[in-house]
Amino acid sequence: MTVTADPFAPAPPAAPARFLYRLNPLAKLAAVIPATLVLVFVRDLTTPLVFLAIAYAVLLVGARLTGRLLALLLLAVPLGIALVGCGFSLWADASLVDTTPVVLQVGDWRLYAGALHTGFATGLRLGAIIALALMAGLTTTGPDLVRSFVQQLRVPYRIGYTALAAFRFVPRFAHELDVIRQAHRVRGASGGRGPFAAPARWFGYVVPLLAGAIRHAERVALAMDARAFGAYAGRTERHDVPFRTRDVVFVLALWAASAAVLIALFPWGIG
Amino acid sequence: MPESPSPSARIRVDPVGDAPLLRVEGLAITHDGQPHAAPASVSFRVDRGEVVLVLGPSGSGKSTLALALDGLIPHDIPATLAGTVEVDGVRTVDTTVAALSTRVAMVFQDPDAQLVTGSLLDEVAFGPENLRLPVDEVHARAEDALRRVGLWHRRHENPDLLSGGGRQRLAIAAALAMGSPLLVLDEPTANLDPQGIEEVYATLAEVVAAGDRSIVLVEHNLDAAIGFVDRVVVLDQQGHLVADGPVDDVLRHRALDLHRLGVWLPTSALAALRLRAAGYTLEPLPLTPAELHDALASHPPLAASAIDPPRHPATGASAPDPIVRVRGLTLRRGRTEVLHDVSLDIGRGEFVAVVGANGAGKTTLLQAIAGVVPPPRGTVHVDGIDVARADARTLPSRIGFVFQNPEHQFIAHTVADEIAHGLRRLALADDDVRTRTDALLARFGLTDKADTHPFLLSGGQKRRLSVGTALVAGAPVLALDEPTFGQDRARADELLSLLAELNAAGTTIIVVTHDMQLVSEYADRVVVVDDGRVIAHGPTVDVFDDTALIERAGLRLPPLRRALRSLDAHPALARATRLADLPGVIS
Repeated sequence: MTVTADPFAPAPPAAPARFLYRLNPLAKLAAVIPATLVLVFVRDLTTPLVFLAIAYAVLLVGARLTGRLLALLLLAVPLGIALVGCGFSLWADASLVDTTPVVLQVGDWRLYAGALHTGFATGLRLGAIIALALMAGLTTTGPDLVRSFVQQLRVPYRIGYTALAAFRFVPRFAHELDVIRQAHRVRGASGGRGPFAAPARWFGYVVPLLAGAIRHAERVALAMDARAFGAYAGRTERHDVPFRTRDVVFVLALWAASAAVLIALFPWGIG
Repeated sequence: MPESPSPSARIRVDPVGDAPLLRVEGLAITHDGQPHAAPASVSFRVDRGEVVLVLGPSGSGKSTLALALDGLIPHDIPATLAGTVEVDGVRTVDTTVAALSTRVAMVFQDPDAQLVTGSLLDEVAFGPENLRLPVDEVHARAEDALRRVGLWHRRHENPDLLSGGGRQRLAIAAALAMGSPLLVLDEPTANLDPQGIEEVYATLAEVVAAGDRSIVLVEHNLDAAIGFVDRVVVLDQQGHLVADGPVDDVLRHRALDLHRLGVWLPTSALAALRLRAAGYTLEPLPLTPAELHDALASHPPLAASAIDPPRHPATGASAPDPIVRVRGLTLRRGRTEVLHDVSLDIGRGEFVAVVGANGAGKTTLLQAIAGVVPPPRGTVHVDGIDVARADARTLPSRIGFVFQNPEHQFIAHTVADEIAHGLRRLALADDDVRTRTDALLARFGLTDKADTHPFLLSGGQKRRLSVGTALVAGAPVLALDEPTFGQDRARADELLSLLAELNAAGTTIIVVTHDMQLVSEYADRVVVVDDGRVIAHGPTVDVFDDTALIERAGLRLPPLRRALRSLDAHPALARATRLADLPGVIS
């Protein structure tokens, strides 16, 4: 699966029913913040499962059903949950859960139900947090996110648009790092063997990379200044990213749903 | 080259008032930390609708001058500015870069370093948005600018999807959208391949033809620019103004003076100067390949005895004792096959240029030959060893590789250590390392820089050091990837002269490059790569004889070949590929 991360790619046209694309990016972020915070602290299995289901329902209705979305929801996320779940089950401290039934025994080693519970609770929590983040992540473009930060949160546009410009640096620097590594290998700069070789090698890459990066950033800054960037306190916005009634409704609906889940399940382990 | 309109046929914008669009008076700029001013004293003016070309040898301060025209110097770049730069009667020091941006728009050398957004439309709208123009006006300007450079139909794409020439055209559109009457372009084609250069100049020719903008062009690629220039301003090595006048007065009448100053003339003008010295009557001095061709076509042939026969460096047959032998080389990068069943012999002591369009696979071929990218076993042999099986100590003693950016391959903290590193890997005695390091430093003119950090060297010194480190282990073959990319003509020539010296002393040179005139000046043989295959390999003169093949590979003939091909009246000249092949010497 290739997830192309072009933060600038425009949102493809979507049917009106796919409502996520028409929401303000901030609304999509704000709506999932309470649920995400709660998920960091809960320890049971049901709460993350319910939030996972909510996120899946919203995504399947509100986002376009592309192959990429289905692959993410049906393969990548479940696989990730299974991997993290198994991993944490094995890693969990057995002495804390040795009162629970043994699920599997190999020689002296026992896998307790409690360990399995801890592991999969962790996996599901991570899966649910990711699924909630995907609601905004899959349906928002980088420029729109910056615009909403500038328009609603009053982040200075000089910061917002500079950050957006900096996105363009990432693939360039990645390529440059590749070339530097190649060049150092040709020169035989392996840095020797042992535990310090790798850090020493990476330190060797940093100097040429930084020299190139600083030069590049300076040139970009000159080019932006030459085109009047930062000339006035504001700049023309061709696209308004308004915060409308439907954004308020969406945020309140998800907050209400989150509250309902918490009240119904009360997943704090003290009830 | 598309036809450029002659300057006189153009629509002129009537001057508004008396103030010229741009007035530069006694300008001297000293960068902080530099001992001398460059430019040192320059005065000229640009009127509305004029196209002015700024020429000068390396170090005369042409790019610095360009940066001063829109106030980036002194507002953004720390430098001391004496004299005056006045735009529309306003001194640049008294206003801001942002305010000047509506009068002067800039296009820089590196297309990647001036694009800041994620789509062509956003990019062109970026400047007008910063100027707080109404949305309708932003859209109108963006559409007009993109249409003028022929990119409107791609407006929703990411600029990364454009070729280098396309990105530079986008930068021109972004400058046009600022609505400024003056456009300043600083070496706009230095980072482009021949196709990109052609695209950018076709676009510029159209901007000039519309006649609504004045242009100041700093450029060393005169062969492409000369067609639509009105006036030429020339600086000397010290940054003083030495000439300012129409193309005819400056370039045609004072060509010899300019050449002696170290100013790069169009290849056709250089060729014509040589031919004049050999007794040809070429009046007025031809400046473009077409002019030279026409002048020679109507010129009676001189007696054959007056002409030195062109040098034929190598025969067409493959060398009997190849030092590089490639057989059935197929290479993949990810899922795509980038080289298909390539076979190639390079003879001992040859100077070979590998040319091809962007993405043809020429760099990959060079990297596979040098073992930078491991080739399959048995496919590449260099000086008798199989590159795929060679260990990290043996390979550097057979072939050295020089990357495009010398900084990338520096690994030590001093110049001397940089050289010594390669010798220590050979497990030599300390004394031996020291003597050989000293000898190499002397050979490359870096003795007094031995304790300097490699990053603090000048551009030319860095390049020499990178060549030195590649050769330190005694490799008989040197491979270089685009060593002249983004450099001015003088520095490129300095490097190529060094390579020619090494070649004369027996080193086999393989160089990947876009610069067709450099290829024809220095290389004995040319390898043409197209779509992962070698489609031609032979003596330079034979390869450039096949115009159809050159065009099919997405390349362009070097200017001298364009001027001299199919000159039936002068059979001896018709096969010359390098200036040195021509009779006559410029004194």
